[in-house]
Amino acid sequence: MTSRSKFYLNRQGRAAHVFLIPWQLGFLLITAVPLLASLYLAFTNYDILNPPEWTGLENFQRMIHDDQFWASVRVTLIYVLVSVPLQLAFALLLALILDRGLSGLAFYRSAFYLPSLLGSSVAIAILWREIFGDDGLINKGLALIGIHGESWLQNPRTALATLIVLNVWTFGSPMVIFLAGLRQIPDELYEAARVDGAGVWRQFTHVTVPLLTPIIFFNLILQTIGAFQTFTQAHIVSGGTGGPANSTLFYTLYVYQQGFVAFDMGYASALAWVLMVAIAVVTALHFLVSKYWVFYGDS
Amino acid sequence: MDRRGFLKLSLGTGLAATAVAGCSGSGGGPSGGGGDVTLRYAWWGNNIRQQNYTKALKQFSTANPSITIEPEFADYTAFQERMTTQIAARDVPDIFWIASPQVMTYHKSKLYRKLDDIPTLKWDDYSKEDLETFKLDGQLNTLPFGIFTPVIRYNETVAKADGVTIPAEGPGWTWDSLAELLVAYSKNNPGKRKGTPYAPDHDLTFEAWLRQRGEQLWTQDGQVGFTVDGLGSWLDWWEKLRKAGGALSLSEQEGMGPDWAQVGKKVLVNFGNSNHIIDDAKMFPKEKFRLRAAPIAAGAPAGHKYLYFPRMAIYQRIDDGNLEAAGKVLDYNVNNAEMLKTVRLTMGAPTNPKVAEQAAAFASPDEKEMLAVVAKERAAERKPRYEAPPGSSTWRTTMARICEEIALGKTAVPAGAKKLVDEIGAGIKRAA
Repeated sequence: MTSRSKFYLNRQGRAAHVFLIPWQLGFLLITAVPLLASLYLAFTNYDILNPPEWTGLENFQRMIHDDQFWASVRVTLIYVLVSVPLQLAFALLLALILDRGLSGLAFYRSAFYLPSLLGSSVAIAILWREIFGDDGLINKGLALIGIHGESWLQNPRTALATLIVLNVWTFGSPMVIFLAGLRQIPDELYEAARVDGAGVWRQFTHVTVPLLTPIIFFNLILQTIGAFQTFTQAHIVSGGTGGPANSTLFYTLYVYQQGFVAFDMGYASALAWVLMVAIAVVTALHFLVSKYWVFYGDS
Repeated sequence: MDRRGFLKLSLGTGLAATAVAGCSGSGGGPSGGGGDVTLRYAWWGNNIRQQNYTKALKQFSTANPSITIEPEFADYTAFQERMTTQIAARDVPDIFWIASPQVMTYHKSKLYRKLDDIPTLKWDDYSKEDLETFKLDGQLNTLPFGIFTPVIRYNETVAKADGVTIPAEGPGWTWDSLAELLVAYSKNNPGKRKGTPYAPDHDLTFEAWLRQRGEQLWTQDGQVGFTVDGLGSWLDWWEKLRKAGGALSLSEQEGMGPDWAQVGKKVLVNFGNSNHIIDDAKMFPKEKFRLRAAPIAAGAPAGHKYLYFPRMAIYQRIDDGNLEAAGKVLDYNVNNAEMLKTVRLTMGAPTNPKVAEQAAAFASPDEKEMLAVVAKERAAERKPRYEAPPGSSTWRTTMARICEEIALGKTAVPAGAKKLVDEIGAGIKRAA
């Protein structure tokens, strides 16, 4: 490489750096610095109004004896373990149906995707309250067949289930990704399978699923991380309390309660870091296990 | 244009834009020449209150052209969140309302400027006793701008139609007689209404209950002022009422802290603050609502009655040049009946006795009802009450959660009462 072209590249590099400055500043000021600050605050007693006081591991020790913390962990784990597989299964099912070349495919794809755009919005959470409330649509329907239902959102046994249904309903985003994945599977493989006598189910289990595993894995990672961070629906549906009887006390809702209701920012920061580490560990585990069930075309 | 030229232009434009942006904006300091002052005024409420106060503040600025007021409004919860971040950023409004859980927290953080040396804020109409009750730790640094009292609000239209008579205040008006009435009514009324919403977490009536038993909500030294037994007796009263069918179930009222617009058509009475009648009655315009002071337990000690004050304050770091203008705004809020004609009495009876008298002349029937009940309580003997200490800001949320657990059968009353007292105590200890 001539010294002239090196100089030219250096100039290009400098220009690139200049153009990157806004992003770098944004990353530093809006992400990196607050992230590091929250790490420091996690080891302090900080009520925002007064300077933080270093308390070492006290916030983390407090979690061990905090019933609310454990309630929020329990609710979040149930939600992740139930809603993510259900949502992915539903999304895959719909993607398979749409992949069969229905007429009006574009319409159905958009219609099914719509809840994904709206699902985590305040408006939909309010709508959910109206549907599952004491005088809601579901109970009015049940009343027609002589069943007197109670509020689904005020019964600790059903409140979380309604939020799981809400999450499953927002299947559009993984569905679109599944649909794209299905389009990548060569028809020849299905033809070969049919020639070998494979029925629809065998084609699905021996051709579709194996070749779709990278897409399933991708969706699984995204939806798991998203489910751990669920907040809006629980906040609106329970009025920010996580009730009834902590049955919708999601972890992020508890972090919010500690940070912005109790103004215990030190503890809230510690909780946030525990969540971040938990998500990182779960994601790492997914990647570790993936080598046993995810098949890439080149492997 | 070559690349270097483009970069120079981009950087130059960016710097220029930054410089221009830095010059603009509206600080809280004295603005412009001619002695003009701009003040930030922060408050909370619903849309109607936002409109009314915005209008009233504009009227003030019209009458005082040298004072411009920048309104900062939010819903109650969002207001507290915003205040906290503003405090952290040292960007506090010049004048702000104080949410009840934060009164002593802000006081401890030295957020309030003292108010007794501002020439434009007059105190002449208040008695010595009034001024003493306004003080925090002996300092006159917040301004009570309304009075609430704990009340039972009942639907007179429905009561008359259903042939129910709410006992008059006096010896027959006790917690037991109220419970009997609510249970009997729930069992037999044509509209299948219940007696009351399930509201053991209503703070003002809970405080009335405690004071009638010689306890209090908070002590002077900032501790929990009630015992596990005191709280347990209150929760027990509600539990018996609920089990006997005298109160709505959590399902019927969609959780703790129900929406009055939803439950108002399902009940005969409600436990509330005296001022709530003004907004709540409007939701059922065809019906008339009346107020009774909270029932009184047999053997209640003298001085158990009390008044609750919503408060506002001037920020400690207000610019000295803006102080007199801020005093004028506060004076307009509490010592001038004109403002009340616009904002009405949703924030309670006026603290200024003369303004309270003037307000009676233009008050609506609901407002008159509220003024009458507050005037009676104000005239009664009252022992001091103390504000919620730092670290207790979530006590009502915790109480609602525990009441909910009790109603759902997940916690027994004694265990729930102990848990609540312990949790509140732990919060106060952490903040100490």
